[in-house]
Parts: sequence; C-alpha cells; structure tokens
Amino acid sequence: MIELKGVTRRFGDVVAVDNIDLTIETGEVCVLVGSSGCGKSTTLRMINRLLPRTSGEILVDGEDINKADPEALRLNMGYAIQSTGLFPHWTVARNIGVVPDLLKWPSRKRDERVNELLTLLGLDPATDAHKYPHQLSGGQAQRVGVARALAGDPNILLMDEPFGALDAITRENLQQEMLRIQRQLNKTTVFVTHDIDEALKLATRIAVMDQGRIIQHDTPEAILRRPASAFVENLIGKGDRGLKLLALRTVGDLMERYPQPRRPEPYSNGVNEADSLRVALSVMVWQNSAELPVFSEAGEEIGTVKREQLLQGGA
Amino acid sequence: MWLLDLGVVQPNRIVSGTGYGLYAATGWLGAGVVSSLLVAAVVLATKPIHNRFWMLALLLTTALMAQPLLLEVFALRKLPEDSEYARIGIGAGFWCLAFFLALMLLETLGQLKASRRLQLSAVLLIVAGWWFCATREGLSSLSLIREYANRADQFTQALAIHLSLSLGAVAISLVLAFGLALAMVRRERLRRPLLGLVSFMQTIPSLALFGLLIAPLGALSAAFPFLQTLGIRGIGWAPAMLALIAYSLLPIMRNTYVALMEVPEPVVDAGRGMGMSERQIFVQVKLPLALPVIIEGVRITTIQAIGLTAVAALIGAGGFGTFIFQGLGQAAMDLVLLGALPTVFLALAADAILSALKFQGASR
Ligand SMILES: Nc1ncnc2c1ncn2[C@@H]1O[C@H](COP(=O)(O)OP(=O)(O)OP(=O)(O)O)[C@@H](O)[C@H]1O
Ligand SMILES: [Mg+2]
Repeated sequence: MIELKGVTRRFGDVVAVDNIDLTIETGEVCVLVGSSGCGKSTTLRMINRLLPRTSGEILVDGEDINKADPEALRLNMGYAIQSTGLFPHWTVARNIGVVPDLLKWPSRKRDERVNELLTLLGLDPATDAHKYPHQLSGGQAQRVGVARALAGDPNILLMDEPFGALDAITRENLQQEMLRIQRQLNKTTVFVTHDIDEALKLATRIAVMDQGRIIQHDTPEAILRRPASAFVENLIGKGDRGLKLLALRTVGDLMERYPQPRRPEPYSNGVNEADSLRVALSVMVWQNSAELPVFSEAGEEIGTVKREQLLQGGA
Repeated sequence: MWLLDLGVVQPNRIVSGTGYGLYAATGWLGAGVVSSLLVAAVVLATKPIHNRFWMLALLLTTALMAQPLLLEVFALRKLPEDSEYARIGIGAGFWCLAFFLALMLLETLGQLKASRRLQLSAVLLIVAGWWFCATREGLSSLSLIREYANRADQFTQALAIHLSLSLGAVAISLVLAFGLALAMVRRERLRRPLLGLVSFMQTIPSLALFGLLIAPLGALSAAFPFLQTLGIRGIGWAPAMLALIAYSLLPIMRNTYVALMEVPEPVVDAGRGMGMSERQIFVQVKLPLALPVIIEGVRITTIQAIGLTAVAALIGAGGFGTFIFQGLGQAAMDLVLLGALPTVFLALAADAILSALKFQGASR
C-alpha cells in the first residue's frame, strides 16, 4: 500500500504538486491522468525518491520512505519511462538483468528470469536477447523497458507513460498484455498517462489531476458516471461517455446463457464472451441485427446478447 | 614522375650533388618496370575486370613494399666506387611515386570497404618491406642510412626520450584532465574559468610557451638546489614536460566533460530509478558511454604531443627534434629526415592504435 498525505512539491515558485492525498491499495492499478504539466511525473518520481518532496508524507506499507535507504527502496519498485532509458551499450538481456544483478542474484537465476520476462512480453529469447537497444523497434524497446521494470520481482511498479510515442495498434497490444500480466502478477502499480482511454482500460482506480491537485479519485465507472467537475467531464468527452461505459464491461456480463452450449451454425456472425459491450453494439449496428450469438473462447455458441438489453442495461 | 629526380648522388654529406631522373637512375629496366606498373594500375582502375580492386590492392601493396629497391639499383649503377664519402640521397621523384602509390592504395582499400584488420596488414607489409630493404647492404650508401649509422646510439636514445616525454605528458594530463572534467561536471561554476584557462594555454604558440617556462623554472631550481639534482632546470626535460602537459589538457578535458554531460538524461534517470548508486551509474553507464569520445581526446592529444616534443628539442629536451634542428643548422637534409620521418611514423602509429581502441570501445 502506498499513501501520500498532504504531499507538496515546488520548483522555485512553481507548485508542481499541491497538497495531494492519495492512497493506492496493494495489488491495485492506480492511473494518474491529466493534461501535460499537471504534476503526474512529479508525483510518481516522489514515490521512489527521484525527487524529494517539499512537504507532506509518503508511506509505503506504513513506513515513511524517507526512513529507508533510497537505493534499497528503488530496488523494490520497478520503474519504466516513456523514453525507455535502456542502456545503449548493453544487450537486451543485460538491460533486463540490471536489477537482478544489483540484487546479486546468482547468474543462473537471473538468466532464467530474463528469458521468462522476454517470453512474457512477447519477445523471442533466442533472437532478441542479444540485440542492442538501437536494433529494436519502438514497440520492442518499450516492451524491454517494462520487462526491465519487472525483472527484480518488485512489489510496486511505477510507470511513466510507458506506452507513449507508439502507434495506436502497438499501444493497444501492449495495453492488452499489461492487463494480462497484471492479472498474473498483481503488482501495486502507479501508471501515468495523459490518454483517458488508456486510463479507463487499465485502471482499477483513476486519479484525475489538474494543476498539481487531484480533482477526482475513483473507479473508471464512477468517473464516467459521476464526473466531479466540468474539467473531468471534458477530459472523458461528454459525447461518447456511453460508448466508454460500454467499453468497460464484457459481453459475458450481460448475455443470456443457454442451458447447454451449442454447435455454432456455419457462417454465423457473433461476438466473443470476452469482447466488450462496445464491440457488440458496433457489430449490431454494422449488421443491423437486434440479437447476436455469443461464442466462448473454445468456439461454442453459449448464449445471445440482445440490443434491447444493451440499450437498457449497458450503460 | 619521369621528369623529377629519383635520387641524388652526393660526393659528401653537405654538398648537394647531381640528380638523376627515373630513366637515368635505374636504366631501361627500372623505368620500364615502373612505367608498366603504373599503366597496369590505371588499366585495372578503369576497366571493369572481375575482382579488379583486389588485384589492384595486391599490386599496389607489392609495389610500395618493393619501392626502395629502386634506390638500391640506383646506388649500384651510379655510386662512384672509389669515393669513401659519396652517398645517395632520395629525390623528389621517389617521394612522389610513393605518395601516388599510397593514395591509390588508400582509394582502392576504400572501394573494397576493407576491414581495419586488412588495412593494418597492408601497412605492416609495406613497413616490413621498407625495413627489410633498409637493412640490406645495397642501401648502406643511402645518406639517410649513413646518418643513422653514425648515430645509432643517439637514435635509440632520442626514441626513448621522445616516447617518454610525449607519452608521459599525455598520461599525466589524462589523469589531471579527467579530474578537472569531473570537477566541472560536479560544479557547474568551475566550468567557465577552467575551460577558459586551459584554452588560453592552448593559444600560446608552442615556442613562446617553451621560452616562457625557462625563466621561472630556472629561478626555481636556482633557489632550491635539490631540484637540480632531479634534473629540473630552466632548460631540458622539465619545461618541455610542463608545456606538453599544458597543451594536452584541453582536448582530453573538453572531450571528457562533453562526453559525460552528453550521456542521455533518461538513461541516467532510469538507472537511478532502478536502484543503481551514483557510483554504479558512473562506472557502469556514464564512463562506458563516454569512453569513445574520451579516447578521441587522448588520440588528438597524443598526436599533438609527439609533434610538439620535436619542437621541444629547441630547449634541450632531446628527442627526434634534436636531429631536425642539427640537420637544419648543418644544412644536411638527410639528418633532418632522420628526425622528421620517425616523428611522423610515431604520430601515425599512435593514431592507428588509438583509433582502433576507440572503435573497439564504441562497438561494444
Ligand atoms: N526539474 C524541474 N524544474 C523546474 N520545474 C519543473 C521540474 N520538473 C517539473 N517541473 C514543473 O512542474 C510541473 C509539473 O511537471 P510534471 O513533469 O510533473 O508534469 P506531467 O504531468 O508529468 O506532464 P507531462 O504529461 O507533460 O509529462 C510543470 O509545470 C513543470 O514545468
Ligand atoms: Mg510527465
């Protein structure tokens, strides 16, 4: 658990972070979102003491971080940044192995860990491990950055726009993988982004920041349903709020299940159980149909989802 | 090439002697070999023959290796046998031919995109060829060799002094400049005054700096006699060393500073954020990333110091400069060459070695 109590950070006259209170529960993904210069990175960098705070308290599992040795503190907090900060003179494998090396793991354990992470992040241990950072694509470099942050098996992950500067498709893939990894590892994560869709997708709770303050701290659904101010309303985009809410829930939540799974009829178009309601709506609009078959991951037809239900209970 | 003097026959070491062109010097055979070789090279370079650049490289390397043989033939044909002091000198034609062949070889190696190792082996082969020719009886009448033979001991001594002065100065200023660069990185305020001072020293002409140091060092050693027992006097190695160090500081200091400052901020930030200590960041990240640029500074400095050490002979520091200035004083050009050629060779060798080191550092 990470607790920020009345934390302020000034740069000369500029108040970058203004007396914020924020609690991040263990295993939670807290996404800091807000426009450029609102103090997201400053907040994040105070948590691992890359920046000293001007006033206030930051506790990790009840302990004031200023009491800990900064290097020991950081070894237990994975850190990934937008520009990746990969060491250009080291191979991918050595980059990922930095923290295990700092923790003095035996080299076999380190190498196993590196291979495990390469696989986890969709890189090839045989070919990619020996590349240098300049030989990687932007997306691969960001993957390595995330792998490096995970390598020491830290309890806490701090990520500052780790998927920034990527094209939409690569970004989407990495977000998907992030969700999958988070389901496996359950790290307490603080994730910075200025992309509200990324925030809605990844967060268990979102902290919306503006001019150094936290305007609202709540679940994605609550933020969409009850934005605390005009600023938050603007950020989420009033017009497609309904679609964003639909995107938060899966078809599985709303569908009607058959008592027995059936063999799907040939060439029937439907949606998967794990697809979002937003996708279901889109397919209905496209096919002008009032009802869609729902398939399980195994490909069996397990129920239907109706337009009426979607319109009434979806958002 | 055919019109310039290939060599000169001198009755003794001072008198300038009579020059002989390629044909006159080596006869039909020599002139024919050289001419056909050049024609062959031009044909190879222009006609689209398979593997022509490899053949050309081989041809040129062999030609360069064997070039001193021309002088041997010349000596055989034209040196008066009865005269004890007669000697042959190297003419402009010989140097031009060497220069021309070397340029062609360089271009060919470039066309072949030759690896460093290949380039180095070509150079070593040529040096070995010249070395082999120089030690043969046939060239003992070459005045350069005569000058060397008269001073073999002095030559070895000059080599030792030249190397220890220039390399010693570079080593000392490497340590000093590294420390100063670190201080500048730590304290931004120090940057302007330090860089200013060191660049100012660089602007003093070398002779003036050597001269300027004579008085204070002389006074110092007069005041403290024990310094004299160490060999520290107004002239000699001490002022030379000091001046060389002063000149060597700037390139190393500037390069080290710039290289350390140019390590990308996110890289350092990431290292720190992952729990590396400042020391670990310096040793494992900043230093390796800065190394190629630092070595480049050392390379510039070393070449410069080897050249300046030659000038330092004027204040009695010793080294190859001694031969140059003696030769100039006696109007004996081959004595000048005896000092100048090894100086150039040392500088080129330092350049090659440090470039290779830098290349290694960068590609890791
Ligand atoms: N080292 C610094 N010196 C002075 N001012 C700073 C420094 N770092 C940040 N600031 C200021 O603090 C404020 C918050 O910066 P911060 O980097 O936290 O913003 P951010 O929310 O991460 O923005 P972005 O989305 O652009 O990364 C900005 O006004 C910035 O100018
Ligand atoms: Mg930021």
